[in-house]
Amino acid sequence: MDMIYKAKSGHPGGALSAADIVTALYFDILRLDPGNPRWPERDRFLLSKGHACPVLYACLAMRGYFGFEHLDTLRQFGSILQGHPIRKTPGIDMTTGSLGHGLSIGLGMALDGKLRKKDYRVYVMLGDGETNEGHIWEAAMAAAKYKTDNLIAIVDRNRLQMDGCCDEVMPMGNIAAKFRAFGWKTFEIDGHNVAEILRTIEKARKVRGKPSCIVARTVKGKGVSYMEDRFEWHGKCPDIDQLTCAMKEIWGEDS
Amino acid sequence: MRPHAMTPATVPTRKAFSERMAEYGAIDGDFVVFEADIGYSTFSHLFGDQYPERYFNMGIAEGNMVSAAAGMAADGRTVVASSYGVFLTMRALESVRTFVCYPDLNVKFLSSHGGFTPAIDGVTHQATEDIANMTTLPNMKVLVPADTWSSRKLFDVTLQTPGPVFVRLMRDPILDLYEAGDSFVMGGSHVLIEGTDVTIATYGDIVFEAIEAATILAKDGIRAEVIDLYSVKPFDRETLVRSLRKTGALVVAENHQKRNGLGYELSNFCLKNHVVPFDNLGLEDTFTESGSYPKLLDKYGLSKHHIAESAKRILGRN
Repeated sequence: MDMIYKAKSGHPGGALSAADIVTALYFDILRLDPGNPRWPERDRFLLSKGHACPVLYACLAMRGYFGFEHLDTLRQFGSILQGHPIRKTPGIDMTTGSLGHGLSIGLGMALDGKLRKKDYRVYVMLGDGETNEGHIWEAAMAAAKYKTDNLIAIVDRNRLQMDGCCDEVMPMGNIAAKFRAFGWKTFEIDGHNVAEILRTIEKARKVRGKPSCIVARTVKGKGVSYMEDRFEWHGKCPDIDQLTCAMKEIWGEDS
Repeated sequence: MRPHAMTPATVPTRKAFSERMAEYGAIDGDFVVFEADIGYSTFSHLFGDQYPERYFNMGIAEGNMVSAAAGMAADGRTVVASSYGVFLTMRALESVRTFVCYPDLNVKFLSSHGGFTPAIDGVTHQATEDIANMTTLPNMKVLVPADTWSSRKLFDVTLQTPGPVFVRLMRDPILDLYEAGDSFVMGGSHVLIEGTDVTIATYGDIVFEAIEAATILAKDGIRAEVIDLYSVKPFDRETLVRSLRKTGALVVAENHQKRNGLGYELSNFCLKNHVVPFDNLGLEDTFTESGSYPKLLDKYGLSKHHIAESAKRILGRN
């Protein structure tokens, strides 16, 4: 929130809905070496819904990929933290943010891992609105064909996209059922229940012979009362009063 | 005149390129090939037959193919992505731009059916804007072989050049003019005919029309210099300038839209560096149609006669 306020632009809603999952990945799941960002054995993470990058940048700073002072430079000229993630930033595996491509890129990484006989896994976080893109389903069929069980997609099912409610803008129906129909193993969870997130990813890691998709029910703007479930907060910057209020709600009165 | 005689080609450039790719599989054991369900047309299957574990048929889904190729190349592996030019450079354009060119990855494009060389297939399968789209992308390099040996040699150049490389290939065999000993480099060119009166710069299939145009011009006492700019981006500035200092006139002919093709690039270059009488031949803001390749060359202004006429016009000799 602070980063977006300082940048005067950004996407708070989708960053907050994804925050619990991205945090769980970076602090409990991903095999990483922050001192060696291109370590060949590392797990890969692609934030396909790249507009949620403030939460990713915060996690990378906390894991020591770069200093916290960079967080204040988000979206600014000369910053290592671009408006959407790019591969040059330490800890970022690949440029993402143009919606629909992350699953394809993850598929390529998963195929590369298979061919190199590496045991790393590739995690791709998708937005639910992003699944409107046909590209996602091209990747879904190819991943099933190549049995990339080292590929795990996580859909941030916050049910809102930029112009409104997903069901109004473009109803996707049962996203898990769609992935199942494409030959994926699927799970449906509460995307804010950290124990359930960890437990389910552990299950997905044990799946063999097919890729996995975890559809995580989330709340856009989670943790900030005036943002929760409001599509207006997809790409809007808070003012100082809103920021103060949000910080109090997230951290408690002492913040 | 070059010492090599021209002979009818037995294979199209798409096949020659793929044949070399299959051979190169033994030289470089790391690169892989992605195909979009036209492997028997691009001849990429020749590689897949020998290296099935390194051949990925991604189905009729070029966008996913190119983004997945970027993912596969992210840790340094080289990927050749194969399809027709019209699909690679249009449907998959954003994947090429944002996920291959922007991160500067080793994805190479085997792009068949360039220009209107798939003449009989009609406009849906012709790639007459591919050079514009690809040369515009930062980090992308663009090569266009004209015949069998140049295709084979430029495959090696493609694999050995870091970063993205786009190679435009043709549907049908035309003629062969290069030999095994001819060398090809990124940014290179070949002066096929030496002349003193006008430079004809071209690439790919139009090389052969340009050579014949030079013969027509010779009958009128005009000595044309013909340059095969097989490396369209970067192009060989040194050879071009050396030629223009001698001839003082330039005709650019290409199987492509005039707009934003090599002609536009060279006219811009000449305006800034070496102003000469100039003309460029290509598609005049139009689509073509189904028909035989020679008929299309004739109707759309790219035959040897059109090139010769253009040269005479800028020399004031028509």
